[in-house]
Amino acid sequence: MFIKIMFLLSAALILGTGVMAAVTKNIMHSCIYLLGSLLGIAGLYITLGADFVAVTQIMVYVGGVVILMLFAVMLTGGKEFVSKTQKLLGLIPLMGNRCSYSFGVIGALVFGGIATKLILNIVSHLSIKEVEPYESTIEALGKLLITEHVLAFEISSVLLLGALVGAAIIARPRKKDW
Amino acid sequence: MIPLAAYLGISVFLFIIGLVIMMSRKNIVAILLGIEFILNAAALNFVAYSRYVTNNLDGHIFALFIIVIAAAEAAVGLAIVIRFFQLKETIHIDEATQLRN
Repeated sequence: MFIKIMFLLSAALILGTGVMAAVTKNIMHSCIYLLGSLLGIAGLYITLGADFVAVTQIMVYVGGVVILMLFAVMLTGGKEFVSKTQKLLGLIPLMGNRCSYSFGVIGALVFGGIATKLILNIVSHLSIKEVEPYESTIEALGKLLITEHVLAFEISSVLLLGALVGAAIIARPRKKDW
Repeated sequence: MIPLAAYLGISVFLFIIGLVIMMSRKNIVAILLGIEFILNAAALNFVAYSRYVTNNLDGHIFALFIIVIAAAEAAVGLAIVIRFFQLKETIHIDEATQLRN
């Protein structure tokens, strides 16, 4: 029951803030809506029993990435603070007449129907079971990270170092160029 | 219990939102924001399949590495955006037409 309520709340948060992030004109508001959406995804991770991933999501995304984006927006704001967004349909020029569009829609419906049928067939044959809902995954994750996935773990540390040095070098002000 | 298809539907929705943001915006920061949506859709799929289908923790590991790579990508991308703004005084994507001044 608790999990169902949590799922519904998180899904509503994601749907609402996702749509608002796509339609709002101001890039600053869009970043704030991204924050709401990321919190909703963390809630979905909790309903899936992935506690460590949920906490990491909140710490890295909400505490790091969104703040970084807000800083970038404020640093590069200037005159174009309210970004020039265009309507999606006005952006794409027309590439056919009514007949070709209707053929396209019918073709897409037929293809979608067939694809849905195939995928449902596959999904219904999968063995869908569930693990126990409240089981802490931190110990098991730590063991997996330093035994089976240790190579990816070490490579990701090198990647983070490279990203750190690269970002510092790229953003460094160069006096001669400008 | 909550079906697997609900999580997959939310993941598809997030992917479409990210794609729409990337296609309709001209601001480079907004395009990076769309990429974050798409990466989150992928990570949600990994965790959902790991709970309902394989019943082990490999999907969680994948989601953690996706979060790590998304953070690194955001740092480097925003550094490039700030450098680009220093050179061109704008962050409109159509102004990015050359690699070197």
